[in-house]
Amino acid sequence: MSKKQIPIEEGLFYIPDSPEKKPCLIGSKCSICGVVVFPKVSVCANCGKKDITEEIHLDGEGILDTFSVVYAALPGFEIPSIQAYVNLKAGPRVWGLITNESGEQDLEIGMDVELVIAKVKEDAEGNEVMSYQFRPLRASSKGGQS
Amino acid sequence: MRDVVIIGVGMTPFGKYLDKSLQDLGRQATWNAIEDANISPKDIQAAYVANAVGPQLIDLKGTIGQHILTSAGIFGIPVINVENACSGGSTALRGALLDVASGNSDVALALGAEKLFCGDTAKSAAAMANGTPYAKFGFMFVSLYAMNLKKWMRETGVTKEQFAKVVVKNTYNGSLNPYAQFQKAMTIDQVLNSRVIAEPLTQFMCSTMADGAAAVIVCTEEMARKFTSKPLVKIAACELISGAFKMPGEPDVAITTRAAHRAFEKAGIGPEDLNVVEVHDAMAPAELLVCEELGICKKGEAGQMIDEGQTDLTGRVAVNPSGGLAAKGHPISATGLAQICEIVWQLRGEAGARQVANAKIGLAENAGGWTMANDNAVCAVTILKR
Repeated sequence: MSKKQIPIEEGLFYIPDSPEKKPCLIGSKCSICGVVVFPKVSVCANCGKKDITEEIHLDGEGILDTFSVVYAALPGFEIPSIQAYVNLKAGPRVWGLITNESGEQDLEIGMDVELVIAKVKEDAEGNEVMSYQFRPLRASSKGGQS
Repeated sequence: MRDVVIIGVGMTPFGKYLDKSLQDLGRQATWNAIEDANISPKDIQAAYVANAVGPQLIDLKGTIGQHILTSAGIFGIPVINVENACSGGSTALRGALLDVASGNSDVALALGAEKLFCGDTAKSAAAMANGTPYAKFGFMFVSLYAMNLKKWMRETGVTKEQFAKVVVKNTYNGSLNPYAQFQKAMTIDQVLNSRVIAEPLTQFMCSTMADGAAAVIVCTEEMARKFTSKPLVKIAACELISGAFKMPGEPDVAITTRAAHRAFEKAGIGPEDLNVVEVHDAMAPAELLVCEELGICKKGEAGQMIDEGQTDLTGRVAVNPSGGLAAKGHPISATGLAQICEIVWQLRGEAGARQVANAKIGLAENAGGWTMANDNAVCAVTILKR
C-alpha cells in the first residue's frame, strides 16, 4: 500500500502543480472594501454584508511576528515544535508551525519567512497529513543571508 | 433592571478526583453555596450550568446541568446549559444575573463544573485543546501564551525572573488556600529550573488539569436580607464580549481592555479603585500582561509592579489572592466562578490566612478560547462591591 499525502483541511492552502509555482494560502477579499481575511469567509468582517467576498490566493511571504519552541504536543504531532505567528505581506496575521529542519538559532523576530506545504503528522493509516508551515529566509534586521 | 447581590458561594477543592463524578462535584459546590446563602434548594428559581468538555470525556452527552441539579435536589425550574470555553463560569453568572435583574426570577444559581481526569491524559489534553479550530493543526494554548508573552517581553523589557516572581507570589497565596490544588510555596529558582514547556514558560508557570466545581447564588438586593445576615456583595458589572477581527488601520486593543472598559463604565469606577483582583492566568506570567491590559499598572510598568510587591496580599492591590490558576488548578468551566467565590470571601472578610485587609471593591477577569480572528473567543470582566 502506497502512502498518500492528504491535506489537513480542504480549502485552506493551494499546492502548486509545478515546481516553478509557489504554494499559497486561500483567503478571501471583499469586493466592496477590499479587506483580506484568512481563512476565507463568506461574510465580510468589515462591511457585514454576505456573498460579496471572492476567493483569492495569498502570497506566502511574511514577517515573523513571534514564536515559541514548544516541548509538548497534541497526539500525533512532533516534540519539540516551533509555533509562530506571521504577518503576511498580503495582510492577515496567521498562526503556523515553523518547518522542522529549522531550529531556534535560525529564527529572529522580524525576519522574513516563506510558506511551504509539508508533512505535519501521519494519520492512523500511515498517510502523510500535509499542512502549511513557514520556513525562515533571513533576518531582515541584519540583512544577511540565512 | 433590578440591583442584584451575591448571597451564597461555594466550591469543591480543585484536584484529581478519579472516584468522583461530575454530578458529585457539581452537587457538592451547589450545596456549599445553598448552605452559605442560608436558603432551601426550593428557593432557586432558575439555574445556569457551565461545562466545557464533559461530552468528550464522560458518559453524559447532554443536558448536563439537569443531571447535576437533579442529583442535588433541584428540578422543575428553568435550567440553561452553558458552554463558553474557559469563560463558561462567568457566562453562567451573567445569565443568572440577567435572570434576576430582569425580574424573571428572584433567586438564581450559577454553577460551573468540570471533570478533566478520565484516566487517559492524552484524551483529556485533546479535549481541552478543542476550544479552538486551530487544534487540528497542532496549535496549543500554552504556545499561544508563550508567543504573546515573548513578544511582550521584547516590547517592555519584562524578564523571566519577573515572570517567576508571579509564581512565587501566587504559590504563596495558594499555600494559604484550602481549595487550591497545590498548596506549596515555590522559590524563583524552583520555578526557573523546572522544565521548559514552551519557552519562555516553564512547568511551574503553567496551570494544571483539575477536576472541580464552583457555585454562586444571586438574589435581588431587596430580598437578600430575608435569607442571609452576611455582608451583601453587589454585582456592579458583569460584562461579556467576544473576540473580533482587527480591521486594517484600527488600533490593536486587547479583548481584556475592551471588556474592562465596559465593566468600569457600568460600575462607575476605575482600576485605581480596586482592592482585590482575580485574573485568568492559565500561564501565571500572563497575570502581568493582563494587569497592564486592565489598567492596574501603566504600560511598561508591570515588571516594577511585581518587583515592588504591589500585587502581594499586603500590596496596593492584591492580585490572585486565591493563588491564580497555576496554584489553584484550572477546571475549565469552574474557574470563572471560583474567581467570584474568592472575591466574595475577600469582600466579606472570610478569606482566612490570605485575607486582604479592608477589601471593598474586587474584579474578576476570565478569558477563553481562540478563534480564527486571532483573538480570544470570549472575555468576561466582573466587578463586585461590598
